[in-house]
Amino acid sequence: MTGATIDHMVSVTVFLGAILLFISLFNQTIQTAIIYQRHRYLATKCSDLLDSMLLNPGEPIEWGKGNSTPTSFGLQDPEFTQYRLSPFSLMRLQSLTGTPFTYPRTGVTYSNLSMGFGNFLFVPYTTAINYSTASRLVGTNNTYGFQLSITPIVTVSIEETHAANPLTLTIKVAGAGFPLSNSEISYCFLKVNEKGGNNNPSYVSLFGTTYADDKGSAVVSIQNVNTDTAYAFIAYAHISGLVGTGYHERVSDDKQYVLPLIDSFGDKRVLLVHSYNVHDFGPPESSVFFNATFVLLTEDFTLREMPMENSTGKLGKVVYGQGTDKQWSNVTIPTYNPGILIVTYQSNNEYGVVLMPWGISSMAFPISFGISPTEAEWVTTDARQVIVGGIAYQAKLALWSLQGSQVIS
Amino acid sequence: MMRTVEILLVVMIITSAFIVASLFAVLPSPRQVSPINLRRLALTTLQTLDVDYDLSATMFKNATDDPAWGQLQIALSACLPPNIVYNLTVYEVQSGQTQLYKPIKSISNAESLGVSSDSSSYLVASSNVTFSAVPEKIGEHGEGGTLYILNCSDANGWWITGYTAPSLVQDLNNLLSPYFQTTIMIQNTTQLAQILNGTSIQNEALKNAVVINTFGEAVPIPSGYYASTNVGYDSGQNSYARYCHTLGQRVRQYNWTWVSIVGYPLYYVSNKGLFPDEQNDWGIYGMRSVGPAGLNAFFRGLDNQAYSYNSNWITDSRGVVYLSSQVLYDCNYYGIYPSPYHTATRALPTSILSTYHLNVTTYVFSPTSGWIPGAVYRNAVSGGLLALGLTRTPDIRLTALGLLCDYKPRIYRSDYTTSGTSRLVVLQLGQVGGI
Repeated sequence: MTGATIDHMVSVTVFLGAILLFISLFNQTIQTAIIYQRHRYLATKCSDLLDSMLLNPGEPIEWGKGNSTPTSFGLQDPEFTQYRLSPFSLMRLQSLTGTPFTYPRTGVTYSNLSMGFGNFLFVPYTTAINYSTASRLVGTNNTYGFQLSITPIVTVSIEETHAANPLTLTIKVAGAGFPLSNSEISYCFLKVNEKGGNNNPSYVSLFGTTYADDKGSAVVSIQNVNTDTAYAFIAYAHISGLVGTGYHERVSDDKQYVLPLIDSFGDKRVLLVHSYNVHDFGPPESSVFFNATFVLLTEDFTLREMPMENSTGKLGKVVYGQGTDKQWSNVTIPTYNPGILIVTYQSNNEYGVVLMPWGISSMAFPISFGISPTEAEWVTTDARQVIVGGIAYQAKLALWSLQGSQVIS
Repeated sequence: MMRTVEILLVVMIITSAFIVASLFAVLPSPRQVSPINLRRLALTTLQTLDVDYDLSATMFKNATDDPAWGQLQIALSACLPPNIVYNLTVYEVQSGQTQLYKPIKSISNAESLGVSSDSSSYLVASSNVTFSAVPEKIGEHGEGGTLYILNCSDANGWWITGYTAPSLVQDLNNLLSPYFQTTIMIQNTTQLAQILNGTSIQNEALKNAVVINTFGEAVPIPSGYYASTNVGYDSGQNSYARYCHTLGQRVRQYNWTWVSIVGYPLYYVSNKGLFPDEQNDWGIYGMRSVGPAGLNAFFRGLDNQAYSYNSNWITDSRGVVYLSSQVLYDCNYYGIYPSPYHTATRALPTSILSTYHLNVTTYVFSPTSGWIPGAVYRNAVSGGLLALGLTRTPDIRLTALGLLCDYKPRIYRSDYTTSGTSRLVVLQLGQVGGI
């Protein structure tokens, strides 16, 4: 009798222990499978969301060219089909990476999409589309977080290898994984003429074409340029449908300069302000005289100047301080075709040139939009090759769930 | 002791079950769980390379020694991420052969594409070939198929500023006649009366026809019967709104689709002989104002309701309006590209749908909170109206698009597989590195 009882107790104990062990083992397998399934779902959602953003222009379809907030979010260029994005819709996205700043004279805060000194792009927060708006419009608010990165596929880097006459510039062209050997490079060299006094600076432009070698490198020599000449150099590289752009400037004064701030997309109006007004450092400084011009990229990859009337504000000066002089000037871009606003300036016989893309593609500016996936449990990404204003870009979307480890259906 | 042995047997069975289940429940690798969509990446890469038709041009170059192939390989390597390997194969599309696709060139940057890969195909056409497109004729497989375009020389138009009716007629004929079995220009109001009487002009099918009024807000009115009291003229109100009612009845009777190209439909009636000394209040002689009563009477006639004079203004100004998604899609199909947005000052209210038993079969413009800027309305029994309530000047392409979107004639394009004219490009991508 005692033996039977012990047998019974041992068997029950072993049985219960085994059952618990196997339940935990099965449970672990099932949990792993569920997590895998959820990640798989997230990857599918990421692909769908990316297509949804890239394959519809939003509503109104030309929202990138106005100041209003869209009622439906999409980045496709309404004039095309497939994966061609609007360079203006992209310009209206609030940058994730750039440090925003407030222009103290007007109190307007700007989203900073600039690519270093001389290559400026500032969009007012009042017209830039922020993440929460976009997230609400695509239906991911409170459920998913995302970050959309649009980066140019072709990188054109320009380096000054000989500063004195003749100026020598080395151009390197590379793609995402390979140099663009033997690519054709069209360039525009824009030299600021030194006129002195209280004059608006003038400039001369030089256009040319060269080819990259097997390593994707090319050298361009420009005559009659000395070490203190201010200039801008813009290059377009293209091969077999791939197009990329790069730029380089040299200035003799990088403290007093003109800063272009987009004021209105609908009116195509840009504010030109004195740099001291933005940074607000130091005592009052002298006026900065400027000469603005607008160039377009043509189908044969050359730049063509688009005439601007004087009434558009192409010539003028900006001052620092509170005097009766204008603290800023307005310039009106004559078109909605993507191009580059080139502003040459001089102050106290110091010269320089700054560039601003009108349409993000004309200077191949990248944009990163969304929020950071820090602390996300799992981030999935997907990518597409897209065309923005004729320039090849890669659009990459990172997506993650905001609802912890719950399965979202 | 037996129970312990039995339990041990049970444990062995469960262990076996777990091992067997684990063997079958193989979890996918991380790459399979969250993969890059290689198919889409391949397609968008091909589209990127063909943005200026460079890819199409390269495909037809000499496959053995043309440097364009080398450039294509450089571009492919440059635009794909370093961890992506590719194989691009070009096929000649043959016709009448047992082998439809014949490989002619293949370029790759790796011997193998790894364990998993995906591909997209892209058809390119030679720039030396012209393809033809044959449209399906409306009415080809049913009734109707006649397009009447009013070109009455004895009437004047209004709100067709900058155009004349004959110039609009010509444009409409060019745009639409390929899609209809018969296109007839109604040259005068006598011919208009003839078709209103149910008599065809050239033995064409009169029923189920489309009638386009190119006179804008005015409509030609035949003299005689159709201008007589209680048929075209309301002597009590001294108005020709009665004619619009009769017109609506005829549209219903013959199941026509009446087309108003701009502005307030049927706002004036015009006949130079009938109204030689009358003008439309804006100095255009041969025309007489009917006002909003014309459209109201037309709707009543279309719905087989008895005539009653109603001069209530029913349209509204809705500002900028946008083409509907359906029309935007069809722009590509039919190759007609008007501006995607216009100004609507004569949008019709949605209340007419219930009042006159109408259904909207095609929205030309997206409706805006209770108002329809442009659409095709069809009565529940018979007859229809395409009304574009835009401000002047008319864009005749919108009329064409509205009709094509509603009737949806297909376009039979020439065979793209004709030998030597098309090549199929297949880009296969694989991922290397990682697990």
